[in-house]
Amino acid sequence: MINEKKATQLPFAWIFAVIVGAFILFLAIYIAVKLINSGETEMDLKIGKEIGILLNPLETGFESSKTTSFSLPVETRIYNECSPAGTFGEQKIKISQKSFNEWTDTNLRVSFQNKYIFSKNYSEGKKFYLFSKPFEMPFKIADLFYLASSKENYCFENAPSNIKEELDNLGQGNIATENCSVNSIKICFSAAAACDIGVDYAGKVVAKKSDRLYFESDALMYAAIFADKPLYECQLKRLMERAEQLSLLYKNKAILISRKECNSNLNLASLGSAAGNFASSRDLVSTSTIANEIKQENELAECRLW
Amino acid sequence: MKNNKGQLKIQQMAFMLMAITIFFVLAGMFALTIKYSDVKKNAEMLRMEDSMHLVSKIANSPEFSCGRGFGSDRTNCIDSDKVMALKGNLSGKYKNFWGNISNIEIRKISSGSNKLCNMTNYPDCDIIRLFDKEVQGADTSNFVSLCRKEVYESESYDQCDVAKVMISYNLL
Repeated sequence: MINEKKATQLPFAWIFAVIVGAFILFLAIYIAVKLINSGETEMDLKIGKEIGILLNPLETGFESSKTTSFSLPVETRIYNECSPAGTFGEQKIKISQKSFNEWTDTNLRVSFQNKYIFSKNYSEGKKFYLFSKPFEMPFKIADLFYLASSKENYCFENAPSNIKEELDNLGQGNIATENCSVNSIKICFSAAAACDIGVDYAGKVVAKKSDRLYFESDALMYAAIFADKPLYECQLKRLMERAEQLSLLYKNKAILISRKECNSNLNLASLGSAAGNFASSRDLVSTSTIANEIKQENELAECRLW
Repeated sequence: MKNNKGQLKIQQMAFMLMAITIFFVLAGMFALTIKYSDVKKNAEMLRMEDSMHLVSKIANSPEFSCGRGFGSDRTNCIDSDKVMALKGNLSGKYKNFWGNISNIEIRKISSGSNKLCNMTNYPDCDIIRLFDKEVQGADTSNFVSLCRKEVYESESYDQCDVAKVMISYNLL
């Protein structure tokens, strides 16, 4: 009887120790994994925010364009997302980095209301190039940023002289205007066979596979080249939302300065309404016509508003 | 007697395991505290960096810039008429537009008084505060020229002053 008790007491102690030990180990591993994951999420968010901060020095004054580049220590994917909801919509950036040969996954995004980045759905690499250009219609609405990985090489074939000159002056590593490499994304300005992207500069259309993206200025032409159609249309909608608010701002400024014998009778209400009703890049032609009329009125006005 | 010895062993083991668990929990809490204080520090650094970059470029943003409205191209120049128009009707819409900032203040440095601007006393005032709330937290600043339209004997002219633009942000 005593022997039987001995035989049952020892295994119970062992089973108890093993179960509780396993639980403690599981808890420790679980916490360690959670900590690593939250560390990766934190790093992804930090990089996203830093990219946004990096865009500030790229804001232009009277320069026609500016460029910069940045490098990250590991292979990184920069996801570019856009939402037109709200007064100004939102630019969202999601970062995913390679860790232990796997892409980190986070549902968190860094959002900006005052940034407009044009790129593919995601850009992948260690080195990234950014260049910016102001977008005016007829006043400056925003600076547009074009993001591309150093792995994505763009070659602008037979570009008009002003575009060629601008791109050559930028000296961006992944943009060429002649001697296109085999792997580069070819952008043709004349009807040619082997082109990834076709630009009808006079007709103001960029053709990409089956998509046609309409533009009105060089800034939007680059945007249409670098971005996918859904992103381009969404960012354009956001730009028009800002144009609508700026029209209101200039209208209020006109009222304020009219008290100082400074009159400028511009039809800003029509521009605001065109921008507010903007649906897709097809509407650019009509908005641009109104903008050009207002531009001329402003240049001839007693007091220029911008 | 033997039964009591066995129970004692189990008790000892249970206490040991509890001690180990408490040790792990404490070590985990310590690690979390260090980690999250680091996150807070990083977030504050990012806010400061953002504010510093923003203050150096805000004068060129369309909502503030003079553009060519005062004769020639002017950089680092803020159009105070435009800012007052923004403050008067649209500041609510721009509340989150520049990110985590709490306020934007433009202070004329040519005068010693601290009269806040509103639609009734403008331009006989010194400080334009974009959002109608007290300036809180830390701030970064930059010098700019502040221009507006003025009238003298029915003729309008451009009046420019030296000003300091300050961007304040809340500390975490």
